[in-house]
Amino acid sequence: MAEHHDIEHTEAHKEHIGLPGYFAVFGVLVVGTILTYFVATIDLDSILFPGANTLVALLIAFTKMTCVILFFMHVYWQSKMIWLSAVAGFFWMAIMFAYTMQDYLTRVTGTFNP
Amino acid sequence: MTYITNGFTLKSWLLTKDHKRIALMYLIAVSVFFLLGGLYAAAIRLELLTPQSDLLESGSYNKVFTQHGVIMVFFFLIPAIPAVLGNFFLPIMIGAKDLALPRINLLSWYIYMIGGSLTLYALMQGGVDTGWTFYTPYSTTFSNGYVMAVGLGVFINGFSSILTGLNFIVTVHTMRAPGMTWFRLPLFVWANYATALVMILGTPVVAITILLLALERVGHIGIFDPSIGGDPILYQHLFWFYSHPAVYIMILPSMGVISELISNFSRKKIFGYEFIAFSSIAIAVFGFLVWGHHMFVSGQSMYAGMVFSFLTMVVAVPSAIKMFNWTATLYKGSVSYDTPMLYALGFMGLFLIGGLTGLFLGSMGLNVHLTDTYFIVAHFHYVMVGGTVMGYLGGIHYWWSKMTGKLYSEFWGKISAMLVFVGFNLTFFPQFILGYQGMPRRYAAYPEELQVLNIFSSAGASVLGLGLTLPVMYLTHSLIWGKKAPANPWMLPGLEWRIPSPPPTENFESTPVVTWEAYEFGEENGLDLDEARKRDLATV
Amino acid sequence: MSTHDHYHPPGLQHQFEDMKQQEESVSIGMWAFLVQEIMFFGGLFTAYLVFRSRYPMAFAAGSNHLDAFWGGLNTLVLIVSSLTMALTVYYAQKGNRNMQVILIIATMFFGAVFLGVKAIEYSDKFNHGLVPVAGLNHKSKAEEPAAKEEGKTAAGEKHEPNPRGEFQWTGENYEASVKIITEAHEKKYLTKYEEVGYYSNGELDQNKVRDKVRIFYWIYFVMTGLHALHMIVGLGLMTWLLIMAWRGTYSADYYSPVEISGLYWHFVDIVWIFLFPLLYLLGRHFMHGGGH
Repeated sequence: MAEHHDIEHTEAHKEHIGLPGYFAVFGVLVVGTILTYFVATIDLDSILFPGANTLVALLIAFTKMTCVILFFMHVYWQSKMIWLSAVAGFFWMAIMFAYTMQDYLTRVTGTFNP
Repeated sequence: MTYITNGFTLKSWLLTKDHKRIALMYLIAVSVFFLLGGLYAAAIRLELLTPQSDLLESGSYNKVFTQHGVIMVFFFLIPAIPAVLGNFFLPIMIGAKDLALPRINLLSWYIYMIGGSLTLYALMQGGVDTGWTFYTPYSTTFSNGYVMAVGLGVFINGFSSILTGLNFIVTVHTMRAPGMTWFRLPLFVWANYATALVMILGTPVVAITILLLALERVGHIGIFDPSIGGDPILYQHLFWFYSHPAVYIMILPSMGVISELISNFSRKKIFGYEFIAFSSIAIAVFGFLVWGHHMFVSGQSMYAGMVFSFLTMVVAVPSAIKMFNWTATLYKGSVSYDTPMLYALGFMGLFLIGGLTGLFLGSMGLNVHLTDTYFIVAHFHYVMVGGTVMGYLGGIHYWWSKMTGKLYSEFWGKISAMLVFVGFNLTFFPQFILGYQGMPRRYAAYPEELQVLNIFSSAGASVLGLGLTLPVMYLTHSLIWGKKAPANPWMLPGLEWRIPSPPPTENFESTPVVTWEAYEFGEENGLDLDEARKRDLATV
Repeated sequence: MSTHDHYHPPGLQHQFEDMKQQEESVSIGMWAFLVQEIMFFGGLFTAYLVFRSRYPMAFAAGSNHLDAFWGGLNTLVLIVSSLTMALTVYYAQKGNRNMQVILIIATMFFGAVFLGVKAIEYSDKFNHGLVPVAGLNHKSKAEEPAAKEEGKTAAGEKHEPNPRGEFQWTGENYEASVKIITEAHEKKYLTKYEEVGYYSNGELDQNKVRDKVRIFYWIYFVMTGLHALHMIVGLGLMTWLLIMAWRGTYSADYYSPVEISGLYWHFVDIVWIFLFPLLYLLGRHFMHGGGH
């Protein structure tokens, strides 16, 4: 039983990225957190365009999330099914956002709070 | 030893991890709720016999139709087919010993019972009058019914649905027997898989929505109150994000049952297997993109209404694909008219009407005229009762011999199938006309000139009620006095017909190896078609 | 009856053929559960999106009162706990019992620190009258007229009288939001919706502003509260894991409970990765940058 199992999961596979890898990902996450904290104090909205602050914050958050999902949660080494379910969750949330907002962003003014 | 004789104590049932026993426990629970919801329906039809609100005054009438809706939607239609028939047959049809996560399966039954009990408690205390949709701000601010308790019941019940869906997804992925490839799966399994996707992706949203509603009711923060900056339409968006796909939770498993019935009772490989399989998935996906068609007159933007209206037309396509493929399967098939098949044919007729009137309502312009009238009521009853209940009853009859090891009376079965079909049409067809003439839903009184059609409807309801009571009687009768069922009474090729009736606890003596396609009729499967034909002729 | 003629390893449940099938099943099951969780939080994120797009300035003003230091610290704490969790799985795969136990305890410790910091933040909101539900705030008596004018309590700390514990958006907080909103108004940044949301007859309406900020705080409490609830469930999971690891249950052949608990823990971390910038960092550039 065990032999059969180990053939499928080679030793390299089971170790995933190994200790240095985990600490590297951890480093990225910490840097991302500190970065997002300080970028928020710069008025990118005026320097670049309105909403730039939020965009940068979200980009950093997405990067951090991707690191956690791929390496801490081992999705990078997983079957297509796991990839699919990880993507599907966010895709469906995006559906909910998009189709709700297509209503809110196209409302006639005044109906919300007369 | 069969799964039924494997232990007789109450404990052996309440702590069982056997998917078949859990399915039977679900069957009993779901039937109780169906009966209860039916009684509320009877009260509604009795009240509408006369134009005046005399049997029930408006307040009680509001509560009666709300409780009819809540019980039927959340505690009967949603769990009925997946939790009873799916639970019982999904593992058997893919050649597995059990669902992948049996303890979670049992947990889902307990969660269902807790949610159901809580709701029943609230109903006994005085009930709710918000309509099953709990629209804000009425439900958050003004209603003085037991909104919190019923909401909590629905919230809890949602997790039972999520766990069932989760279990089905895992089971279909990992528990298929050797040789049971994706495209050899019976279409009932495909349909339940698609349903499970909707359950996983949609149900949590309604859970959080009801949580928000409860918090709003407690705290009056104003998130759904337009006078202090909130938005009641946000509630509707979140609610229908789940509750429209929930319609597909109800209808998809039923379509799966119908695919089984149509193919098996035509003794013919189903036409367009891949199309039916993928149309289930397509319905599950597209079903998430159309929720705004419940909100055309709610104040959502015109642009959003147009998008949702267009997408509603798109979701009709996969449903139509199924209808055409079923019809093509019947063509030149060796059709026999056993009770399950009568239900299946009834389904095709009723779902066709229900589906097409759905297109009327999905057209934004016509919807403004028809919304919140009896046209809507008739439409969704044609889909829910004509679709789900017909499929459920068809499935129950189809698999009864396998589930219980007993044969029911075919004569009474046919009588009841006809009564249900006739009674159903008599009840709900007049409601299309009533709605078109402008009779609004959710009112206890109506203008006198509409009385004739309402009497038709109420009369039909009593026929329908009789048609639904008969199965309870002859099916119960068959448990004790019924003839012992053979393993394969209809000479069908599916895996569930290759094991004894009722099945042993482990389903299969040894893991089966599947070497045949789904719905493959032929002698190489040990099925003598001539033998089966002779049997059919003998029963006509 | 089924005959188990093949070798039956410990930990294998009866419905599965072999360990590989079981591992695959629990792994897919956990992922399906996480998808469910994403949608569960998704409903709240939708509410956030709708109201933030409606009242960005009120959200910025409300966010400014949240302490980004505590929020940032908590983010780091959670990231460390995620690292220790990932390492737990690593050592479980190696079958190293001692490291597992140490790392699980570390994970639980950091989880507890996170909840402690949350408690500090919540009590701050309670003391400042920023819990959006009436009756759940610190109830401060209306002082003698003289003291009331200065707006000071006996302790010398600034407190508005709040006899019924209602939501307060007054004093410094309100002044700060007035600054942000009027500036945006002058620059014509406010949408029509926002304008009618804050102004009555061309004047900034304190009650209207308060209502919008209250919606922000309501979303803040529901989101972080639900997240904290998930943390508590996670701690329960860790306790169970600790007991099992202590007994030396997990080895290179059987460690899927550690792995799927880890998935859950990382998911909760991811939610916080988004909550931190979306709730704490909204209006900070109004306070610090651009020379305002």
